[in-house]
Amino acid sequence: MQSTHYCLHRMPEVRMSDPFVLDDISSIQQRFADLGYVADRALALTLKLAGDLQKPILLEGEAGVGKTEVAKVLADVLDTPLIRLQCYEGLDANHALYEWNYARQILHIRMAEHDAAARATLEATIFDDRFLLNRPLLAAIRHPGPRPAVLLIDEIDRADEEFEAFLLEVLSDYQVTVPEIGTFKAVQPPYVILTSNRTRELNDALKRRCLYLWVDYPGADKEREIILRRLPALDATLAARIATTMQTLRRIDFYKRPGIAETLDWSRALLGLGIAEVTPDVLLDTAGVLLKHRDDIVRLHDADLERLLAGEAPATTTSHQVY
Amino acid sequence: MSASGAAIVARTLGFFARLRDAGLPVPPARSVDALKALTVIDSLDERDYRLTLRVNVVASREQEQVFDRIFDEHFHGASDTRRVPRGIRGEVMQGRLGHHEKTLDQEVTADPGQFTPQDVGRELDLLARWDSDAPPLEAVIRDLARRLATRPSRRTQADRRGARVDLRRSIRRNTRHGLELVDLTRSARRQRRTRLVMLCDVSGSMDTFNPFLLRLMLGLQQLMKNSRTLVFSTHVTDITAALRTRSVADSLREVGMQVSHWSGGTDIGGALARLNRGIVREGSAGSTVVIVISDGYDNGRAEHVAHEMAQLQRHVRKIVWINPMYGATTFQVRAAGMKAALPYVDHFLPAFDARSLQVLVRGLGMI
Repeated sequence: MQSTHYCLHRMPEVRMSDPFVLDDISSIQQRFADLGYVADRALALTLKLAGDLQKPILLEGEAGVGKTEVAKVLADVLDTPLIRLQCYEGLDANHALYEWNYARQILHIRMAEHDAAARATLEATIFDDRFLLNRPLLAAIRHPGPRPAVLLIDEIDRADEEFEAFLLEVLSDYQVTVPEIGTFKAVQPPYVILTSNRTRELNDALKRRCLYLWVDYPGADKEREIILRRLPALDATLAARIATTMQTLRRIDFYKRPGIAETLDWSRALLGLGIAEVTPDVLLDTAGVLLKHRDDIVRLHDADLERLLAGEAPATTTSHQVY
Repeated sequence: MSASGAAIVARTLGFFARLRDAGLPVPPARSVDALKALTVIDSLDERDYRLTLRVNVVASREQEQVFDRIFDEHFHGASDTRRVPRGIRGEVMQGRLGHHEKTLDQEVTADPGQFTPQDVGRELDLLARWDSDAPPLEAVIRDLARRLATRPSRRTQADRRGARVDLRRSIRRNTRHGLELVDLTRSARRQRRTRLVMLCDVSGSMDTFNPFLLRLMLGLQQLMKNSRTLVFSTHVTDITAALRTRSVADSLREVGMQVSHWSGGTDIGGALARLNRGIVREGSAGSTVVIVISDGYDNGRAEHVAHEMAQLQRHVRKIVWINPMYGATTFQVRAAGMKAALPYVDHFLPAFDARSLQVLVRGLGMI
């Protein structure tokens, strides 16, 4: 199984008119909004700085607040490929940087054995680019342009600390050395976005290298805007209702609070079911979209939903006494 | 740089000095980065000024909050004392550090609290007992940490004496022989690091809490770097950072200053809930071992403890419960919290006297 994957979402296409440069903060916000992502000023400014100063961005926040999405939308805005490195425990340089394609090399050797001319040049050709498997980091550095690629290093907190140190090296000069070939230096340093669910504290040195931004759950107004941007077909009053309900739900001490991903799933569900009003019954029937733990659903069943929908979060009554 | 530019630099540096006073680290490299960043923002209104400095200077959510507060104070003279966090950070901010007279040493050697059983002439200082008839404590802890630290993972890595043949590496290695597999490369299962989460009761009923356990926690924390240590009574405090200092005495002093709820009531369920909603979710379930150190006397509801224990069990590899009362001849599970928790505990270990400490160490080694 190949656990590391990177996807070239689209091939870049060269356009003469629009320079895909992140310059003006409000225009960044506008371009993100056009693609359905509501970026606040802090995010837009951070993106601009990342481009100007060529620094990676570290986004921290709860699961489901749209950290990964930033990278995806950025790639779309810049019309450049998104190269993704999903981190996991035990991720090492082989999977992140490059590896030789041994099987192909052997095939090549076998074929050369029957051909005297090829045998003579075998040594020169065996460590050819053809046999090099570009893993995400190398792929991002070797990206030919015309615009820098977006490199998403997702859930860096899941990788080991050794990997962080290794990453630090790559991110500091955006170059990689393959002993058999030579050094690749990025023509255009990629936009690097690291995300962390904060399951552990990251290395200080790595943090220092990055621009830091904490991504929080959105407020009611922003959440309504997100819903409407993504689902223009949804009734605006219902969207506002969904947004306020989500705000109230997040104040409850759930094991896993619903994020924006859940908001959008729920909105889609209501839209698909043709439901126009959020009532206690609707909430209970569709609870599985919002809450993914059985205990949380039980807790929702126990709560006074009339009051909850009136915007009043039930106190943490169900099990937890406060002294 | 223009005159106003120089003014901005001076103003910013003044602000950084203020941040440093508030305990936020702003190394010179970062402040240079921040100033550099200011130059690329064209129209510098206050909002962008704040954001630009913030993304460059802070490194965590907490620091973000401190930054915003100091920013308001510095540039608007607002001093909002309500938002000063509790604990050592708040103390630092208010310049009251050092006002805590209580240190951990004093606490643990203080008079036994109301729950001390009258049986046996129990010495408070179990350390003394330990030393008399066993290998040195440090060595025991080191050995324990080594055994706890890893377990075999599903993944493999190259190992000359490994049990299986690594075909991919073997092929690479034998390219020089054509495709003849002359010498084989072997692999063995990689060792997976265990993450220890220690949750330790420091409430009134644990006033007899012994220095041995303290030393054990400290030793394990220092030897197993990715572990976390928390203490609780009615509140929960993460003391991991305080235990990072090298000397035992410094660590204890640091902990004594950070934790303000020694000898309070007990809310085991609440403490477990904190674990369940935070730390435990962080690592993979397979690599986390939770050690709870408590006598199980609880002011909360037993169902709450049971509920959270059930949650916890689903998210960690093992739950170990060390009960400092267990091991006494007259010990029975009487505490309601303890009764509620017991069905979910994988290893229930004593820590009462010298003999039970041996059992404890042996038990921990077998996890």
